[in-house]
Amino acid sequence: MAEAAQTTRIPLVERVLEANDEVAAANRAELQRRGIFSIDLIGAPGSGKTALLEATLRALEGRRHPAVLVGDLATRRDGDRLARWCDKVIQISTGQGCHLEASQVRDALAQIELGQVDLLFIENVGNLICPVGFDLGQSAKVGLFSLTEGDDKAAKHPYLVEAADLILLNKIDLMPHLSFDRRSFEADVRLLNPRVPILDVSATTGEGLDAWIAWLDR
Amino acid sequence: MLRVHEFSIAEALAAQVQRHAPAAGRVTEVDITVGALRGLEPEALRMSWEAVTHGTPIAGATLNVDLRPWTITCSTCGRTWPSPVPFVACECGDPSPVPTAGDELDLVALTIEEES
Ligand SMILES: Nc1nc2c(ncn2[C@@H]2O[C@H](COP(=O)(O)OP(=O)(O)O)[C@@H](O)[C@H]2O)c(=O)[nH]1
Ligand SMILES: [Mg+2]
Ligand SMILES: [Zn+2]
Ligand SMILES: [Zn+2]
Repeated sequence: MAEAAQTTRIPLVERVLEANDEVAAANRAELQRRGIFSIDLIGAPGSGKTALLEATLRALEGRRHPAVLVGDLATRRDGDRLARWCDKVIQISTGQGCHLEASQVRDALAQIELGQVDLLFIENVGNLICPVGFDLGQSAKVGLFSLTEGDDKAAKHPYLVEAADLILLNKIDLMPHLSFDRRSFEADVRLLNPRVPILDVSATTGEGLDAWIAWLDR
Repeated sequence: MLRVHEFSIAEALAAQVQRHAPAAGRVTEVDITVGALRGLEPEALRMSWEAVTHGTPIAGATLNVDLRPWTITCSTCGRTWPSPVPFVACECGDPSPVPTAGDELDLVALTIEEES
């Protein structure tokens, strides 16, 4: 006689990324304890994340004490670019990983002398979707869009728009050359996140950076 | 090649299911709810799930994905309703009600088969 198999359904209520969230909470506690304001910078490849950080580090030179973590698939190029402006840059090679995870941030932070640091920038892997779901322990998520991507990108990436504490619209210097509908972009953002500040910037010309720096200093 | 982002979700889920799986018995079904805001493709999730569980004690478990639509709430009239898209006008005339749910990513149940 065949053995009777008994099936049991076990109800659970658990976040799938709970393990990551726990590490993120520990990162957050540690950064807060040290008084470090931290930013998870999320944007598409080529939107200007590294360029924006270069311009930002230059503007903060001598006044703030930043550290930078850069997630990149394989190369060290972004880390090298940023190391010209900041002596605390850690490159996190994610290999095939399309986002940073909290444990990678924890391990990178362990390599930095954090005593003097008061500001932490984390350049996430270029991707507008899954980095949003992986909490790193940051104080604020910044969504970086750029004019060259088109004005429909906010509508197409509602998760980032909804989760962002600040939206930056980069490459604003290209406005005269592109048919980017600034009002429609903003209207799409507003539908999902009615109060998020939107700052127009150009990492290349420096236009609008004052407002971004003021937001960081606030 | 870049992995689909469903892959890392499947990896996290597989580790989580293995933590819950009892020593005696086999996990036959895994139920998750996924909000539309997460941008996850159920089919890509299931394929990633098969790939990451292959050769592990939970291989063969079926992944049931309950895809939840955005829940839209209108602040003008107070109406709440499910919507496949986030950008919709309310029938009361308010042009921009906001999504109030749809960002879930939860493990909600395991089905275990035990020989008795
Ligand atoms: N015109 C213009 N080009 C920019 C601006 N910011 C970045 N770029 C260019 O966009 C390209 C991608 O920039 P990068 O910082 O590497 O983007 P990332 O992949 O998001 O880190 C580079 O060629 C930059 O010179 C900007 O504000 N204006
Ligand atoms: Mg970069
Ligand atoms: Zn990813
Ligand atoms: Zn209404």
